[in-house]
Amino acid sequence: MKRKSICILTCLLLLTGCWDTRQFKDVKLVLSIGFDQNDDGTLTETVSIPTVKRSTDGPTSETVQVLTTEGKTPREARDHTDQMIANTFDPSKAKVILMGEELAKNSIQPIFDQFYRNPNNNLNAYIAVVDGKAEDAIRMTPSNESGVSKYISELLEGQINATHSTGENIEVLHGELLEPGIDFAVPLLSIEEEQDMLNFEGLALFHKDAYTGEFIPNHQTTLLMLLEGIRGKLASFTLKVTDEEENAIRNYLTFRVMRNKQDMKVKVENDQVTADISMKLKIRVVEYPSNHLTSKKKIKKLNKKLSELLTEQAEEIIATIQEANSDVFQIGRHVHSYHPDYWKKVKWDEEFPNITITPKVEVDIVQYGVIS
Amino acid sequence: MGFLRNLLGTRDKIEDSSHKGQDQQPNQPSSKKLSENVEYLLNEFKRTDDLKIRAMNNGQAVLMYFEPLVDQEKIQQNIFTPLEMGHVEHISEIPNARSSENLEEMIPTLLRGHAVYMEDGSKTITRFNVTSVFNRNVEEPQNEKIVRGSHDGFIENLMINLNLVRKKIEHRDLVVKYFKVGKKTNTNIAIVYMDGIADPEIVKKMEERIKAISVDMIQSPGYIEEFIEDNPYSPFPQMLNTERPDRVTANIMEGRIALMAEGSPTTLIAPSTFFMFYQASDDYNARWYTGTFVRLVRLASFIIAIGMPAFYIAVISFHYEVLPDELLLPVKSSINEIAYPPILEALIMVVIIELIRESGIRLPSPVGQTIGIVGGLVIGDAVVRAGLVSNLMVIVVALTAIASFVVPSNELSTTLRLMTFPLIFLAGTFGFVGIVFGFLFLTIHLTRLESFGVPYFAPVAPLSISDLKDTFVRLPLFMMKKRPKDAHPLQEKAMGESREWVQHEPDNNKN
Repeated sequence: MKRKSICILTCLLLLTGCWDTRQFKDVKLVLSIGFDQNDDGTLTETVSIPTVKRSTDGPTSETVQVLTTEGKTPREARDHTDQMIANTFDPSKAKVILMGEELAKNSIQPIFDQFYRNPNNNLNAYIAVVDGKAEDAIRMTPSNESGVSKYISELLEGQINATHSTGENIEVLHGELLEPGIDFAVPLLSIEEEQDMLNFEGLALFHKDAYTGEFIPNHQTTLLMLLEGIRGKLASFTLKVTDEEENAIRNYLTFRVMRNKQDMKVKVENDQVTADISMKLKIRVVEYPSNHLTSKKKIKKLNKKLSELLTEQAEEIIATIQEANSDVFQIGRHVHSYHPDYWKKVKWDEEFPNITITPKVEVDIVQYGVIS
Repeated sequence: MGFLRNLLGTRDKIEDSSHKGQDQQPNQPSSKKLSENVEYLLNEFKRTDDLKIRAMNNGQAVLMYFEPLVDQEKIQQNIFTPLEMGHVEHISEIPNARSSENLEEMIPTLLRGHAVYMEDGSKTITRFNVTSVFNRNVEEPQNEKIVRGSHDGFIENLMINLNLVRKKIEHRDLVVKYFKVGKKTNTNIAIVYMDGIADPEIVKKMEERIKAISVDMIQSPGYIEEFIEDNPYSPFPQMLNTERPDRVTANIMEGRIALMAEGSPTTLIAPSTFFMFYQASDDYNARWYTGTFVRLVRLASFIIAIGMPAFYIAVISFHYEVLPDELLLPVKSSINEIAYPPILEALIMVVIIELIRESGIRLPSPVGQTIGIVGGLVIGDAVVRAGLVSNLMVIVVALTAIASFVVPSNELSTTLRLMTFPLIFLAGTFGFVGIVFGFLFLTIHLTRLESFGVPYFAPVAPLSISDLKDTFVRLPLFMMKKRPKDAHPLQEKAMGESREWVQHEPDNNKN
């Protein structure tokens, strides 16, 4: 016993740090990764690696290194990167993963396979599709931001807060990639060359694991989110409620959603699928120059008008989704679980564009500010 | 430390050895001849020079005493003045004189600072108490200061210490038992407890263990502690050390036993529990909200003191995924160019802090301040600028040191600083897994530990919900109607309904 204890003690003292250590100071942190498809079928991987240097006093200076390598698979491309950089490549704190449009249209599942196999990977990394090449987005040097990775991840976070996107990350994506009857939408970014900035274009609609080429433009994404029952910190709309006023600004009303209640009913009758999505919104008017909104009659009228406008827009969104064959409302899963006989009979991929989806939006103004 | 105990084998049970008695004193009857008596005493004391022999009555009688131990003033006042004034006929009639015919008995008496009077032609030996006493004031102990409450403290004199306790507990049940320990030093020690509250079993245990001590010298309660504690191989102190009379009386009233020794202000309290080390007198003097808050901070400091460097090492050498995104680059920039692995960095810093602390204690206070400046500012700053240690590590280690000083007991504070090391090694070897196992061993050890047969980790393990009122929090005193169960008090009830006036005064009900 004594000898054993002494052995263990000496091992503990002498062998510290030899086992399984990953020294934080010895890794190159990769904060954003971009994948692009080449014409010959190989992949291009672009990574941005920040290197920080601390002067004795003063602030730390940060330099960002952007590397592009090619490979047959994502992992091979990564190995090629590793051969070029000092220390070790470490994607465990990656903030964003970007995909080029070409690659996304092909198939994205093979790209993400490596992220699920290693538990060290950051499953919270945001995913986005770039209109163009992902490399160009990562090579950008936004002048006012402290690094492209931070810029992109915060840009995407801002969209989540403003109810523009679901905040698709690697973890959430996994279920949606594999499960039949569920499709998803990923933020679509476009590059603004002159300003050296990115722009949130809308939500790219995916079918199975490929980008359909269709997207919901950014003025409609909030409504899509609300129809899915998701609300960020802020959800605001600006709608044109009349044409009567001379001053153009007076025609518009801006409101924020305070409470939303969404309900979807899926019915299968005579082998026909119908889905009714009803949504009730309680809103606060934040800008409406033409009226003080003190009369109940006026409010009632506006409620009706707004409901009509939003229902109209919802119909437009649904038309786009069905055209893209991207089942973001997860109607397929609903059918799968409640009407399995029907599910077995049909091919959902072919069926989805033909089903009837009826949206119904009801708006109720509950607050209109302190004007009186 | 589980295996530390195993390493040294299970402790043998104390054999019920019949202690050779101080009870049966050797007897040496005095002679009628003065010269024989004097010769005997001189020989017994190996003709030491400070044994003064003062001839009286033209050499017919002598007064013997140890010069350094007696007060000349007292000899004058107690012996010579009554004689000169003619109040008494014979010296043995002086009121505080005591007589005996046993010479052997005179030896401890002389050593205690008494004077011995012997006459030629008489067997009677008379002795007088003329001991001189040097005491410092009963000042507040330097290492246990409080803000509110009593500011007295124990000193090196046992009698004065007992006086302080008796003054605080004026009750017939307060029992003091004397023992003499140390074959050569003959140190007086005393145990103090409340009869009828303290568990007789524990008192018996304490007495047996004290009687079992067989050493030449006892210097302080620290010595005694090692002889009588249950598990000497545990890093945790199993008896509470304190120099505060209020802390001692409070613990005696909970049914615990205090052990005091002549020549030391430190009092040991047994049985004690881990959480007693985190209770300060201040908690009870402040309002209970503040008391609770401060105690929670103090208990949090336990975790910080032993776990913080380990946690930091584990994060930056194993699990940097847990770092928030915003901290990523600042942390990386501060450790990027450090030459050593974090575990070495931590060891260097912890050892440096211990060096500064230790040198600060040993040096006289004016120089001690210089050490503080040199150590704190120069080393702390320069070591970072030189790139030997990252500034985050300096923050971590400094926080750890501060947290370890928060414990109201110096004993436990040193233990905590020692406990950091195994955890640092475990974290450096296994990361979070190592820390978890470290804390697991620690908890296992704490729950197995006993102090005088009483569970050390009470009231958490074994769990006693009602005693938690004074463990992590300090609830209002009137809610603690029962004494803590861990000390096995005979009388559980500590107070009755003390706030029943609330019902009689209807106005008070409203708010």
